[in-house]
Amino acid sequence: MKIFCVIPSWNQAHTLEKVVNDVSKFCDNIVIVDDGSTDQTKEVVKNLPAHFISHAINRGQGAALKTGTQFAKEYGADIVVHFDADGQFRAEDLQKIVAPIINNQAQIVFGSRFLDTTTKMPEFKKKFIMPLARFINKYVFRINLTDPQSGFRALGPLALQEIDWRQDRMAHCSEILVAAHRSGLTIAEVPITVIYHEFGQKIGGGLKILRDLFLSKLNN
Amino acid sequence: MLQEYIALAFILFFLGRLGWQLYKDQISKSQFLMWTLFWFIVGILIIYIHAIDSFTTKLGFSSSGIQLLFYIAVVLLFYWVLRLRLTIEKMSKEITELTRSQALANKNSNHN
Repeated sequence: MKIFCVIPSWNQAHTLEKVVNDVSKFCDNIVIVDDGSTDQTKEVVKNLPAHFISHAINRGQGAALKTGTQFAKEYGADIVVHFDADGQFRAEDLQKIVAPIINNQAQIVFGSRFLDTTTKMPEFKKKFIMPLARFINKYVFRINLTDPQSGFRALGPLALQEIDWRQDRMAHCSEILVAAHRSGLTIAEVPITVIYHEFGQKIGGGLKILRDLFLSKLNN
Repeated sequence: MLQEYIALAFILFFLGRLGWQLYKDQISKSQFLMWTLFWFIVGILIIYIHAIDSFTTKLGFSSSGIQLLFYIAVVLLFYWVLRLRLTIEKMSKEITELTRSQALANKNSNHN
């Protein structure tokens, strides 16, 4: 199966080279989507073994992932993996996340930081933000997964056909989860390790996700 | 009564300003008409504020007519802000689509 890894990047020139070199051992193609970076990203990617797409202006992670996924589909991808450019994910986990699709056990796979015991998540995030997000997922969207905001995921052929998302910013995580459930796809979760360099999504970010989902609901 | 005269004086000032802006080509005719209509309606409401007062009492509210107008104005403002947010959101999605199609048309590849 042809595996594409889509890496959205916004001002991550300092980590991009290592991430791409690590990931290249575990997939057939890498698609870097530069989301309007103002750093050295364009120079860095020149020497990397990857397809390179550049947004003229910053449109958000969800938008960049969609651009990369669309590109991968056009190039005949069977599996598309979404991976972060900040070096917080481990490239070795890529094998774990595509395995259920290759073995016909699932059509979409989400990486879970909560199934892994080695991830050292900031306490406030672990004990307050994530349980709150899980509560919203469970009682508003009827989704019962251990990681409510997983950005490390693999989409198999059927998921690539069925799932589309419109959220440009961080709300795409929830939108993809909801779409996967509504499409009736077989979903699997695998443990992944996340190395936190920074806190990541804060309370304000969580509220923005809810606002984006609400506005999108009204616009449809 | 004095309050009503002051409010009407303000409205006349804004109407005069609108006329001046139209004369100086600073606003379009449609903008002029829209704002003139707006201030005209506000003027009518002020002139008939006592009638609105008794209407408010008939509706069973304990507050005065002017307070009811404020409540309605706040509700309308919230609604307009929401409409504006939805329009901005729609435009933002269109910008993303445009950015995406341009990016995909100009893609580069270092793959062999």
